[in-house]
Amino acid sequence: MKRFTFFISFLFIFCTSILWSGGNLLLKNGTILTVTKGVIARGDILIIDGLIKQIGENITPPSGVRIIDITGKYVIPGIIDSHTHIALDGTNETGKVITSEVRMRDVLNADDTSIFTALSGGVTTVHTLHGSANPIGGQNITLKLKWGKKAEEMIFHEAWPTLKFALGENVTQANRQLSPGEERRYPASRMGVVAIIRRELERAKNYMAQWDRYNELKRMKILNRPLLAPRKDLQLEALADLLRGKLVARCHSYRADETIEFIELSHEFGFRIACFEHIPEAYKITKELVAERIGISVFMDSWAYKMEAAEGIATMPAYCTQQGVLVSLNSDSNERIRRLFNDAAKAIKYGGLSEDEALKLITLNPAIQLGVDKWVGSIEVGKHADLAVFNEHPLSAYTRCDLTIIEGEVYFDREAYLKEREAAQKVNPKPKTTGGNQ
Amino acid sequence: MKIKKACFLIIFLLVFFIVTLASTGPTYAIVNCRIISPPLPIIEKGIIIIRDGLIEAVGVQGKIQIPDDAEVIEAEGLTAYPGLINAHTNLFLEAVPEPTQQPAASQAQAQPERRPVGPNLLVIDQLKPRKTDLDSFHKIGVTTVLVAPQRGIFAGQSVLLNLNGEKIEEMVIKNPVALHVQFITERGGYPNSLMGTMAYLRQSFLDTAHYVEHLIMWKKTPRFLSRPIYNAFFETLGPFVVEKKPIIFTCNNQEDLKRAIRLTQEFKLQAILSGANEAWRVSEELKAARLPLFVSLNFRPPSTSLYANQGEAARRRAEQEIYPANPAELHKSGLTFALTSLGINDASTFQKNIQLAIKAGLPPEIALKALTVYPAQILGLDSFLGTIEAGKIANIVLCRGELFDPKGQVEKVWVDGRLFKIEKTPEAKAPTAFSVAGSWKVTVTSPLGEMEMTMELEQEGSLVRGTLISSYGRWEIRDGLLSGQELSFNISLTMMGQQIEASFQGRVDKEIIEGTIQIPGGTANFQATRIPRAD
Amino acid sequence: MRSQRKWLLFYLLTLLIFFCPLKAEETIVITNVKIIPIVGNDVEKGTIVIRGERIEEIGSNISIPSKAKIIDAQGLIAYPGMIDGYSQLGLSEISSIQATIDYRETGRLNPQVLATEALRPDSMHIPITRSNGITAALVAPSGGLISGRSGLIHLYGWTPPEMIVKSPIALHLELPAARGGFRRTANQPAEGTRLLDEVKTLFDQARLYEKRKLAASKNKLILLPEFDEKLEALLPVIHGELPLMISVHSANDIRAAIKFVQEQKVKAIFYGVSQGWMVAKEIAQAGIPVVFASLHQLPPSWEDGYDALYRNPGVLSKAGVKIAFSSSSASLAKELPYHAAKAVAFGLDKREALKAVTLYPAQIFGVDNLMGSLEKGKLANIVLAEGDLLELRTVIRHVFIKGQEIDLSSAYTEYLEKYKKRLEKK
Repeated sequence: MKRFTFFISFLFIFCTSILWSGGNLLLKNGTILTVTKGVIARGDILIIDGLIKQIGENITPPSGVRIIDITGKYVIPGIIDSHTHIALDGTNETGKVITSEVRMRDVLNADDTSIFTALSGGVTTVHTLHGSANPIGGQNITLKLKWGKKAEEMIFHEAWPTLKFALGENVTQANRQLSPGEERRYPASRMGVVAIIRRELERAKNYMAQWDRYNELKRMKILNRPLLAPRKDLQLEALADLLRGKLVARCHSYRADETIEFIELSHEFGFRIACFEHIPEAYKITKELVAERIGISVFMDSWAYKMEAAEGIATMPAYCTQQGVLVSLNSDSNERIRRLFNDAAKAIKYGGLSEDEALKLITLNPAIQLGVDKWVGSIEVGKHADLAVFNEHPLSAYTRCDLTIIEGEVYFDREAYLKEREAAQKVNPKPKTTGGNQ
Repeated sequence: MKIKKACFLIIFLLVFFIVTLASTGPTYAIVNCRIISPPLPIIEKGIIIIRDGLIEAVGVQGKIQIPDDAEVIEAEGLTAYPGLINAHTNLFLEAVPEPTQQPAASQAQAQPERRPVGPNLLVIDQLKPRKTDLDSFHKIGVTTVLVAPQRGIFAGQSVLLNLNGEKIEEMVIKNPVALHVQFITERGGYPNSLMGTMAYLRQSFLDTAHYVEHLIMWKKTPRFLSRPIYNAFFETLGPFVVEKKPIIFTCNNQEDLKRAIRLTQEFKLQAILSGANEAWRVSEELKAARLPLFVSLNFRPPSTSLYANQGEAARRRAEQEIYPANPAELHKSGLTFALTSLGINDASTFQKNIQLAIKAGLPPEIALKALTVYPAQILGLDSFLGTIEAGKIANIVLCRGELFDPKGQVEKVWVDGRLFKIEKTPEAKAPTAFSVAGSWKVTVTSPLGEMEMTMELEQEGSLVRGTLISSYGRWEIRDGLLSGQELSFNISLTMMGQQIEASFQGRVDKEIIEGTIQIPGGTANFQATRIPRAD
Repeated sequence: MRSQRKWLLFYLLTLLIFFCPLKAEETIVITNVKIIPIVGNDVEKGTIVIRGERIEEIGSNISIPSKAKIIDAQGLIAYPGMIDGYSQLGLSEISSIQATIDYRETGRLNPQVLATEALRPDSMHIPITRSNGITAALVAPSGGLISGRSGLIHLYGWTPPEMIVKSPIALHLELPAARGGFRRTANQPAEGTRLLDEVKTLFDQARLYEKRKLAASKNKLILLPEFDEKLEALLPVIHGELPLMISVHSANDIRAAIKFVQEQKVKAIFYGVSQGWMVAKEIAQAGIPVVFASLHQLPPSWEDGYDALYRNPGVLSKAGVKIAFSSSSASLAKELPYHAAKAVAFGLDKREALKAVTLYPAQIFGVDNLMGSLEKGKLANIVLAEGDLLELRTVIRHVFIKGQEIDLSSAYTEYLEKYKKRLEKK
């Protein structure tokens, strides 16, 4: 029984942060890579109430503040992944082609172990989206990865509400095996994709007009006829919100041409595109992306997994950055998410970004793309204390994340994790392990 | 004068009615028993008179006269409890084939007539009470059950039964009780994801409200307003969305509970949250929401749970140690709730789990309330159900020892005043829950000859999943259900470009399943034998 | 149409890369270079003389032959070219398009197939991989129970024969992977043992087959057994000539596989071994070398710990197991050095990590007489890097394969150059 209780408490370390320090913390003697304000070779960060209060040398904390000595280690802003599908119960609604009515908010799962995986790679904020099965997917959400907290406490309310669009192969289901007799779904070509999005946006315009007319008639009150309100349609409501500017588009696109087509659509209907997702061919249209001020959220070097990714090159993120496009690196995976810092370093090799530029790909740039750069994305006084601590330079291949902090609370602590694991294994040893040391 | 006459008539009718209705069963006097019926004070040596299906009188021994016509039950050393109410179960249902109608397809809004017919379903039409089920519930002291439908998002409407025999009409206490909504997905069409289900629920509630508004407006001023197109789906949902009749949400995990709370608040519904075996994790939200709770004693961690995703050992331990503490934790945080057997296959596991919950800290008195007076209150039936009081329905359990003690033994049960004597079961032969999980070799015998297949089954409570593998292909098993020994499931197979639905029904006897397969235009027999595990 | 044209263009570009042949027997001298030869001491400022395919001289105080092409490698570090212990290079172009996939044969038992016989020298993934310092790779079949046989190739050459170093290298046997993150339970003890029993039966059949062949060859009255391509392919394995590369993951399966290898007296290499850390000593005692699969995966179960795959190489190395890394990929074969570096971050010795992408795979595949270190007489597979070979930021300046200097352009540079013309014209 005792053994068991211990075991459970071990599991709980992983899930609830007994390492909680009340949002007040002093990180001492680390190399601070602020991303926006240069590097402080040996400095302290004082966190009060979850915010960065002071950055400097030899800070004396108020009494009672927990001090973590990080001598020899490196601090960067918490990593932000602007394209994931973690912490959700489900990814795609494929029962319909247009599903703007579905909300990721409705299917959050705070128990998803991917949250822990992400934390172990220094990730503190994620934008978690509907999948790419439908031309118009669902309403996405931005989360802080407060492992062990409730789903509601994880929501980053200040982030822009976004609506997922998707173009290309995934939507046309080019690689899907059909069972005999099964017909291909519309749209099955890029022509159809644009057509169906246009149709839905036209319907949304109509819908808005319908409501406007109803409201106007209602105001007039002169009609001696019964006046029935139009039917409220959640699918069109979301699209109306897009046209009203209350939602911004995040568009999954691969080929340069389809991306240009989508930009044209945004002009036609007057909605805002926050970001293109994946877009391996972005290097072909940097001119347009810069002119439109549309960012891109891309893979560093995943490519050739489908036809439309056959020209996705690792030199793209750096080149686009140098051309003035706002670039962020995403994982789109519950595994890759824990090594985004490795991806950032590759942008130095493939294209020659500076260290700050490389780090921005996974910190400040995604923050800007999510509309949260006022609060996160760099180490600055007044911003949220979302930080990741590494044992070596975070852009080295030999580095390891040791500590992940969100709003001054420690959510991942490798040292504590190892201690707990060791203790748990002593109490509850694995059957016949001959591995020896860790 | 007229009023007086009317009153007479009413009284006459009432008396006549009561007498005719309740002239069943003899009169009983249970004497010298201990009576425990919270919140009433315990009577150490009491007497209960049962007549015409009701409790005629109850009190301290000696203060109540034993009627001449009563059969006297000497209950020295026994304790009388109110019959237990199991407020949510899927038992007693015959397996019905899924409605062939497709769920709302790609343009749900544009074609409301293509919505699933779920909410119209009255579970009373599918009841198939078996004597064995009745007996097993009597044995643990359950006299009353709420039987709920279990398929679809809008699953249908439940019925409350008193387990007094075999005639459904005589068993019904209330029908329908509530509309049942589940956070699950539709196969094939929309919605096929949880996020879609949430959107679909919202849109359905909105559309219903709009339909009703239209209807009311049209009834008021039919001129210059086209009439609404009749819609059975909205007609059924209307009373629940507009008139706020109760909706019972089945909540499989902590997030489902919060989903149900949000929907309830958004659409101002009258809701009961059922399932809720992770309720302790959201006790704050539940307290704030002030919604009635039906807490299942199914201790299996839901698949979304952290505990289900840290390996098998952790999952098993959570099932044994963490989830059983749910009721105790809820009680500690000041919530009241009813306990149910939702997700549990058999009465004996239900009983065992009540004991486990008590072991995990739930005071026995609260457990008793949660199975008697609380469910009666939540369902609005406490004026005639849930306690041993004069005038209430005579649902009484007579037990040797404590009802929730593993050593306790129910000896007699009265349901609607009818006495059921419980045979003592030899302790060694505890009823075993069937498990069909594992690999099976299936032989199908049809007019065309024999065919061999392999079947891999997984079981979670009464739900069965798996695949059927043959030389023609692999088929996913759908709607798998193990109810007692009855196994049923469907597969859809494509043969020569045609989609064929096959429905399997069989009886499990340890290592053998035998039954029939229904396909359009024919039947075949099948027999499955278990392939022993290599380990 | 459009994509066809794109492909054509792509082929042409790939062909172009090869249009820079150097004359055979030319002498190249790399001077002022820091040498990390893997075998022997590092040289701070040294010289490497390449004649033809081989390293003629290496070290400090080496006289520079006349008429040699001289590369002043001031500031660069010379390493042996890396060897990818398991890849699909040349067998896979675009993973979702079946027509471009040649590493998976249908059915469960395919010992007769040989991966190098499907090799596509023009694969767009090869230039990217070698420009990151990887000069040789095992190209392996996968799928089924017995997937086929692998071969070792140089990442340079116009035709398969020009590329092949040695083929076959091993016969591949796959036990089910304990795949896919925390959610699934890793150990299904029965499965691995059952499959190994199946292989055992197969081996017995092959032995019988051989006996019958032998008997028939001695006695003309005995009928020759019908030719069986599958059993034929197993014979070198049974004789201990061709290693059996067993893809094995869970601790239980590893134990079962060790027992199998010892009972069957076959030469074995383990691949994957994600729960190897639990049975490190047993693997070491059995003397079976290990090639790790990509570390870019989640551990098979939560209890293993989030870093199980990362610390696995360190644990095995310390226990005395001979280890090598692999990319397990085609499109991301360039990642090989980073898998090794990740293991260093979680406990593997840095020097061992370097050996595990150079010398050890050469030894495991039996080609250490040709490659794996910078030594006199070995093939001149040399990488000149601006820094640490395993570092993410390190730019590779020169790559030599069999003494030929390789053009480092690839799809990465070519596509970009093409569109720069559009975007950067004044």
